[in-house]
Amino acid sequence: MKTKQPFVRIVRRTDFPLWAMIIINIAAVLVAVGIGAILLAAIKVDPFVYYKDMFTIGTIDNRFAYKNFEGLIEFFVPLLITSLALALTFKMKFWNIGGEGQFIMGAISSATVALLLGNSLPSWLTLIMMAVCGAVSAGIYGLVVAFFKVKWGTNETLMTLMLNYIALYALKYFGETQAGWNFFLSGESVRPVFATFPESAWMYTIKIGKFSLNITLVIAILLCALIYIYMKKTKHGYEISVVGDSQSTAKYAGMKVGRIVMRTMFLSAALIGLAGTFYVSTAHSLSTSVTNNVGWTGIIVAWLSRLNPVMILVTSLLISVLRVGCQTAATNFPVIDSNFADLLQGIILFTVLMADFLTRFKIVFRKNTEKEVEDK
Amino acid sequence: MAEYAIELRNITKTFGSVIANKNITLKVKPGEILALLGENGSGKTTLMNVLSGIYKPDGGQIFVNGKEVSITSPEESKKLGIGMVHQHFKLIDVFSAADNICLGDNSGKFFLSKNRYKKIDDFAKKLGFEIDSRKIVMNMAVSEKQTLEIIKVLYYGAKIIILDEPTAVLTVQETSRLFDILRKMKNEGHSIVIITHKLNEVMEISDRVTVLRKGEYIDTVTTSETNNQKLTELMVGRKINLNIERPVTEKQPPLLEIRNLTVKDDEGNTAINDLSFYIRSGEILGVAGIAGCGQKELCEAIAGLRPIVCGKLIHKGESIAGLSPKKIIEKGIAMSFIPEDRLGMGLSPSLSITDNMLLKNYTQASSKFNPFINRKKGRSDAETVIKDLSIDTPSTETPVRKLSGGNVQKVLVGREIKAGPNVIVTAYPVRGLDINSSYAIYNILNKQKKDGVGILYVGEDLDVMLELCDKIMVLCRGKMMGVVNSCNTTKEMLGLMMTGTENLTAKDGKTPGIAADSNIKEA
Amino acid sequence: MNIQIDALNTVTMFLFNIIVYNIVLLYGTVGEIITEKSGSLNLGVEGTMAVGAIFGYLMGCYTNSMMIGILFSIISAGLCGLLFAFLTVTLQANQNVTGLTISTFGVGLYFFVGKGLGDNFPAMSDYSAISEGANPIYIPFLSDIPVIGKVIFSQNILVYVGVAIAILAWVYLKYTKPGLKLRAIGENPAAADSMGVNITLYKYIHIIIGSAIMGIGGYYMGLVLRGSFEGSSCWTDGYGWIAIALVIFASWSPAKAILGTIIFGFFNTLQSRSGSLAQAFPDFLGWLKDIPAQFYSALPFLITAIVLVAESMRKRKNKNEPSAVGINYYREDR
Repeated sequence: MKTKQPFVRIVRRTDFPLWAMIIINIAAVLVAVGIGAILLAAIKVDPFVYYKDMFTIGTIDNRFAYKNFEGLIEFFVPLLITSLALALTFKMKFWNIGGEGQFIMGAISSATVALLLGNSLPSWLTLIMMAVCGAVSAGIYGLVVAFFKVKWGTNETLMTLMLNYIALYALKYFGETQAGWNFFLSGESVRPVFATFPESAWMYTIKIGKFSLNITLVIAILLCALIYIYMKKTKHGYEISVVGDSQSTAKYAGMKVGRIVMRTMFLSAALIGLAGTFYVSTAHSLSTSVTNNVGWTGIIVAWLSRLNPVMILVTSLLISVLRVGCQTAATNFPVIDSNFADLLQGIILFTVLMADFLTRFKIVFRKNTEKEVEDK
Repeated sequence: MAEYAIELRNITKTFGSVIANKNITLKVKPGEILALLGENGSGKTTLMNVLSGIYKPDGGQIFVNGKEVSITSPEESKKLGIGMVHQHFKLIDVFSAADNICLGDNSGKFFLSKNRYKKIDDFAKKLGFEIDSRKIVMNMAVSEKQTLEIIKVLYYGAKIIILDEPTAVLTVQETSRLFDILRKMKNEGHSIVIITHKLNEVMEISDRVTVLRKGEYIDTVTTSETNNQKLTELMVGRKINLNIERPVTEKQPPLLEIRNLTVKDDEGNTAINDLSFYIRSGEILGVAGIAGCGQKELCEAIAGLRPIVCGKLIHKGESIAGLSPKKIIEKGIAMSFIPEDRLGMGLSPSLSITDNMLLKNYTQASSKFNPFINRKKGRSDAETVIKDLSIDTPSTETPVRKLSGGNVQKVLVGREIKAGPNVIVTAYPVRGLDINSSYAIYNILNKQKKDGVGILYVGEDLDVMLELCDKIMVLCRGKMMGVVNSCNTTKEMLGLMMTGTENLTAKDGKTPGIAADSNIKEA
Repeated sequence: MNIQIDALNTVTMFLFNIIVYNIVLLYGTVGEIITEKSGSLNLGVEGTMAVGAIFGYLMGCYTNSMMIGILFSIISAGLCGLLFAFLTVTLQANQNVTGLTISTFGVGLYFFVGKGLGDNFPAMSDYSAISEGANPIYIPFLSDIPVIGKVIFSQNILVYVGVAIAILAWVYLKYTKPGLKLRAIGENPAAADSMGVNITLYKYIHIIIGSAIMGIGGYYMGLVLRGSFEGSSCWTDGYGWIAIALVIFASWSPAKAILGTIIFGFFNTLQSRSGSLAQAFPDFLGWLKDIPAQFYSALPFLITAIVLVAESMRKRKNKNEPSAVGINYYREDR
């Protein structure tokens, strides 16, 4: 190799200590925040003031700080559940990027239940029926894709992408069409406005002083623990890992790969549908921006967390603070709108991907010695 | 003109602790066909990869036309006029023949020339090839693809052409056409190296033969002065005594009976052709054959991973044909196939040893209605296997991917045995292992045998098989050449059967592969 | 009599709008086809177009030059491509996640830059040199043909450029040596590698060129909307995603993408103008107004979903989809 040996080579590595991995990832997030600070300074915003406002989600010196926490939870819960659900399919190397569509399906179905039942049933029963309908309809919406994938090998990435927009325009149709049959809209308004849910369909909250704790937060954290157990401790979780690692090994071990793929996708989509139900029953109505982009953000959260449920809890909290913080900060900084969160979130992912590369590969510089490792 | 078109002197190549080539010398004259003969794992392909710039040798010299060269990349090898036709074609399926050739064209022209089809048709015709340069590769037969690969190599001016097992995928007629082409090329002054282990072809096509065995250079002989017997002897060598124990067991009734089995490979060619044999409890049946003569397909068919075209698979008197892999595992039939890359089948590389232990029995390790996976069992299994086979690993929770090759294999074999099967199908269980680990595995198999397990051992090393196995079945191109008792056969005999020179099934009167005390009641 | 002329005008305007408001799809699609042919699935079309839109617009207004505007949309979008290529080719990051992140990042950057420059951010129509770019160019004689003259031969410069790029891309892929090598990489990188094709270089170049073409599309949206920046919605609003769908519909052919743009553009135009058609032809197109606009919006995605399933059911061996799309190539995995 006297002449052609390239100056730098990339070699796979398998040994990287956990502590170094944690440090390198934290460093990556800090670098991203630093880049954000430079961008802020470039448009003459003091990054320290802005970040202070953002990371505290505007709770400092605020009489209504509890409202901000409620807002945070309203955003955090769907994001957490969606990210967990997506991690299930990603672990299987099945690219469900249809979180948006499945979320909308869940939201539409549970809104249907809420608006049609009205106050006819007790609240707990209404909420349970909403959750079941939301989860099942979203689950079926996801299952269709898994079915095509298993049966004919249809590309699931592109398919779920298409279904996102089909669901979105269905939602817009319900939200923008005034007609006698359209129970989704409020009857009182002249302009098309989504109807407010009857009170039986409002999610329970626990009053702690002025702050009302939404019980979906408790359920979401419980779900996080359950999915952790599901992925790490159950036979199903084990099957998901094997299928994701090597389909031929899974078949060799006698696993029914098609069934596992369909089951997991149904579960994933159903959980996202449940997140949709939780959101609308907390917000008390549908809206055309019901998803708050959690279907997209959830993909980034799941990936940043290496599909680990515990990490997802931490990361989705961080991203929620980022997003809700940007929204509140936007009121104080008219030149920056809430989309700054998108920007920052993107930069974090880019820096973390670069850090991830360092943990997976080694960069070998050309040495003068002729020694080298051959792969066979 | 130098005496030799290509000359390799004392080439040595090691992969870690494995010596693939040791001091190998090879000389090819201009205008001759040299056959490179050797069993699997004798280092033929490694040597040729050194020549084509894929591997860099650890020691030795290469001369092309008398000048010393250093070949560092496939491009450089191409510039030196060396062309290689790989066993697995490097073609783009959706392209036409001409476009596959134009792909390597680095001349300055920006546009594809319109008359490239004609140009390549003419080029092929001039060399005496028949090829439709507009035909899309995926519509081509295997022989056409191979012809295309050869044209591709010649088109870029190769004078030295290496063909790696070119006839493995060809029919008899196609082979003879290929040989006509090779002779023609030879007459035009090309030097050809053909890698093969088919003796009759060596005799037919080559001028001289270089024989390798276990990575070492054995001899070079002139084809016209040798014969099949002598070449087989050179190839397999004298019998070496390994002192592998072969416990004697009582004769038991047949456990697994295979009758008239026919199986196809992934390309739809017949891989196993009307094969009948049986395994008794407490016996090791060896399967010998050159690489790719249907061993993999046979193993997969028994494990239920590959549909069978026709035939019977009878286990303890019950048919297991068409059962799911899971049902077959539950019947106590264990299959472990060590592919060349070791991790391909049977292990989940990112999972821990513990988790890999559970791969086949995770549903049974706890009650059917218990949703949780029983890691405790997996961990204790892992600990036992690590201890029994002295696997070198930091812990039971280490991902299998991080283990070295030999240890990966021990995990796989260890798991299959731990499951307590009554039939073990094991292919190449000692592939790439050092001596001590290999003996550990032989001992384990013998212990299983004494416990009444029927073992099908697909192997490469004839010395080992002669000592370990009770009987040896020889396959050649998916057909059985006969079953011999390893006490009264010779290595040379096996070699002749493997290459299809000797066929015992035709000789003795009785139908081969059918037990006298068969469980199968003929209707 | 008058009614007839009105009806004719309605049809003409309808057809004209199909092209003028949807040529952005052609830019996005052709850019994505070139990217996917190199074996990379870049889901960042939306973000790349948004970045191209804002920087092109901004620099164009700043210098009062359309050329410089376009140049900067090419550069900024090309940088997005470079980022994607660096992450997926050199760092071997997952293509889906990287692409999606570029989409959200790009739109975020669009708003950040747009808002951040607040007051000195001008409306495009204030700049004669820029808004002229949207003026029609009447091709002599041909533009006098009724209906067709207006619809096809009286478009602005970037419409012609877009079609020209699509045709060039088609020729490039089909008839040139680099195009052949590119397709080989998308099909079977290991085989291309063995023939001495520099895979990393080809991937980088084509991902960047693809993104740059998307960037012009973004610039174009700002131009035809004559828009000044407003904070609520992005100019490229959803067009990037339709472009990804169109790649599939056009079965990875830049020539078919022209046709696909017209078909998808037809749906888009129906969505906003079906009312005027129904009014002009109450007798036989009156039913158009009963179909909800959202149906037309969803139609491109619905059709693409059906195409996806149908194509996979046919199990054709000769697929136009590059076999290796979405899979990173790492030589030592051979």
